[in-house]
Amino acid sequence: MSGPWVEKYRPGSLDEIVGQEHIVQRLKKYVKDESMPNLMFTGPAGVGKTTTALALAKSILGEYWRQNFLELNASDARGIDTVRTNIKSFCRLKPVGAPFRIIFLDEVDNMTKDAQHALRREMEMYTKTASFILSCNYSSKIIDPIQSRCAIFRFAPVKGHQVIKRLEYIVDQEGLDCDLQAIETIVYFAEGDIRKAINILQASSSVGEKITEENIYEVVSKARPKDVRKMLNKSLTGDFMGARDLLREIMVLQGTSGEDMVNQIYQDVSRMAMEGNMDEQLYIELIEAIGESDFRIREGANPRIQLEALLTKFLSRSKA
Amino acid sequence: MLWTEKYRPHSLDKVIGNAKAKTEIKKWVDNWLKGEKQPCLLLVGPPGTGKTTLAHIVASEFSDFVELNASDKRSYDIIMNTVGEASATMSLFNQGLKLIILDEVDGIHGTDDRGGTRAIGKIIKEGKHPIILIANDFYSKRLATIKTKCTVIKIQKVHTNSIAAMMKRICKEEGVKFDDQVIKELAKRSSGDMRSAINDLEVLARGVESISSGDLEVIGEKDSRSNVFDSVRRVLKSKDLKKVRQAMRLDEDPTLVLEIIAENIPREYEKPHEIQKAYEMVSLADVHFGRARSTRNYTYWRYASDLMGLGVALAKDETYRKFARYTGSSSFALLGRTRSKRDLRDRVAEKMSEKLHVSHAVAISQFPYLEIMFENDEMAYEIATYLGLSDDEVKQFRKRKIKVPRKAKSTKKDQNNQQKKEEVPASAHGESSLFAKSPLKSKTPSSGKKAKKSSTPQEDAPQKDKKVSQAKTKTKSRKRVSKSKEETSSKEEKKEDGDKGKQTSLFQF
Repeated sequence: MSGPWVEKYRPGSLDEIVGQEHIVQRLKKYVKDESMPNLMFTGPAGVGKTTTALALAKSILGEYWRQNFLELNASDARGIDTVRTNIKSFCRLKPVGAPFRIIFLDEVDNMTKDAQHALRREMEMYTKTASFILSCNYSSKIIDPIQSRCAIFRFAPVKGHQVIKRLEYIVDQEGLDCDLQAIETIVYFAEGDIRKAINILQASSSVGEKITEENIYEVVSKARPKDVRKMLNKSLTGDFMGARDLLREIMVLQGTSGEDMVNQIYQDVSRMAMEGNMDEQLYIELIEAIGESDFRIREGANPRIQLEALLTKFLSRSKA
Repeated sequence: MLWTEKYRPHSLDKVIGNAKAKTEIKKWVDNWLKGEKQPCLLLVGPPGTGKTTLAHIVASEFSDFVELNASDKRSYDIIMNTVGEASATMSLFNQGLKLIILDEVDGIHGTDDRGGTRAIGKIIKEGKHPIILIANDFYSKRLATIKTKCTVIKIQKVHTNSIAAMMKRICKEEGVKFDDQVIKELAKRSSGDMRSAINDLEVLARGVESISSGDLEVIGEKDSRSNVFDSVRRVLKSKDLKKVRQAMRLDEDPTLVLEIIAENIPREYEKPHEIQKAYEMVSLADVHFGRARSTRNYTYWRYASDLMGLGVALAKDETYRKFARYTGSSSFALLGRTRSKRDLRDRVAEKMSEKLHVSHAVAISQFPYLEIMFENDEMAYEIATYLGLSDDEVKQFRKRKIKVPRKAKSTKKDQNNQQKKEEVPASAHGESSLFAKSPLKSKTPSSGKKAKKSSTPQEDAPQKDKKVSQAKTKTKSRKRVSKSKEETSSKEEKKEDGDKGKQTSLFQF
């Protein structure tokens, strides 16, 4: 039973990892030496941070990697308590059948500052028995003391030709009917995010026998947060309450994150302008407003309230 | 004795204001006394306007009365036991009617007074006695079912002049000298609430010879007692710095107040640029709340408070002369309404999180792709089994239950039957059993196209033996054979899946 292809085709060893050659090279040295410092992997989504961490752990820890490996991601409880109890008790035990133990903390940028501070002590105290691998999207959200305790590896978006190669491999393995043109289209939409590329590929393959560009367009448009365009149009025609209700539904029910909403609004607005459905002056004003909302959300404001405020910017312009 | 009690009127004539309401009540009482059954009365109006007083005056017209108010627990049982009993029985000794007064009906608590409104509904329906219900908020949810069965009488606020006149009367009776201006100011501050006006007067005037304007400062404005909605109304209706700041002094979570202000901005403000400006203020206030949260420095709250209060208040060109109905934040209502859906979403995300090494947020961002993949039966079955999704959880991605792709099943079955016809007695039975297995197999392994390849010899070996032995021993009809074959193979199928995902039984075959 193989499940989603993102998991089925997750590279199991460092050699298989797509792109990131300079990083993999360095990591292989750690495997050879059977020792490694604390590591921090930063970079955008879907470039292989988690995969690399898993592959590295398997290579270093060998046969008993499961017993000596602790993985915690953003949805696991990672408050101060977890850091102080779970992580600590894991670090305290001596590694069995491996040179040391590895703690992998995924999406560290979502940990509170307090938890991060609690973490830095653990990172020093158990250097003999355990090493940490941290991963995050933005290293700026990690407190300095932790950054200074880690060797930092910056993961770049995977290059187009490498994504193409990987997709071709999957196409071959699955016996799919898919030409290069279609693969290139997928790569274009994936924007360097392999996870997204593979998801699009699998979704497109489920639609029909042959993967056509048409199928891909269909998948990509269906996979966008729904109703965003409708919401913007309501706001542009002056129906603020209707637009706001729609926004709340998308965010609360579909669970779309503030970041995804901002992305989608930006894309829709720029498409409207490109299609000639929006005055240039209005467009640039809206871009300013979207940028400001994006900034405020990242600063820690409540995404829903910020986006509601953003919707009002579409309002009075309706007449302009 | 408190002055509010001392000067409580004891006859309808002495109640101030609300002339129309009084005549209606009078008529209602008279009809009852004439023996005509009347629908129950619902008195609604703001506090301190004389609703309870009116009810008690009415009570004196009847021979007896029972009263239940907010200080009593008012669950279904309690109401039925106390009032219900009284309402269904008649007095033995006099023909008199018993008045039932239920005060503060809108204050019946959802959980503590479970079933309270239902009990009231029942009593209204069955009661032989006159009933008066009293409430403040006509739009309260608790009144929704009750008010259709009642005669509603709205009690208006008492006019400032009438309050002033009453206060002057009290002063004279108590022998207190007063300044007209002071009385006027007190009356104004009470904003139509006779009880609070008399209470304030008592604080100033009890035991002294005269009251003067200096005394006014002792008394705080009534606003300190206001609730969130009053404050929000003040923010949206006023442009006055002092009034707005006063209104923002609330014992509520400020982020909640922000939500309610934001919610009602478009209900009050009509011009787009006003909404926009007001929301900009809300947005900035929210930024300060965010800063306070992340730095634990709560002094930022004071900026937020001014921005969402005065900032929003000043966003309007001028105050609207209208009554807009305010509500709580619809996103909270949405949260409540969608709890089960969100629980489902989170359960699925949790399972994905375990299997796919991702957080909930990343898992949820992949949902749209999964929705598309789940339209394909084969893929849906495969992924659902891999993730260990139950039938319920599959609903996150598709409405129908997962079935084995019918096309594959039926065509292969036909093939199967054909083959059997051709080679039933044949020695090639082993091979046919291999085919018998493959159609069912095809939903389990990686993908349909690879199905045949992946059914490995080891897996088939035991089955082959069985089939061969069956073939040897059987003397029965072909149909039976094919049936039993199917059975055994599907049994094995189940066993296999049971080991892996234990979910098989939940899928429809």
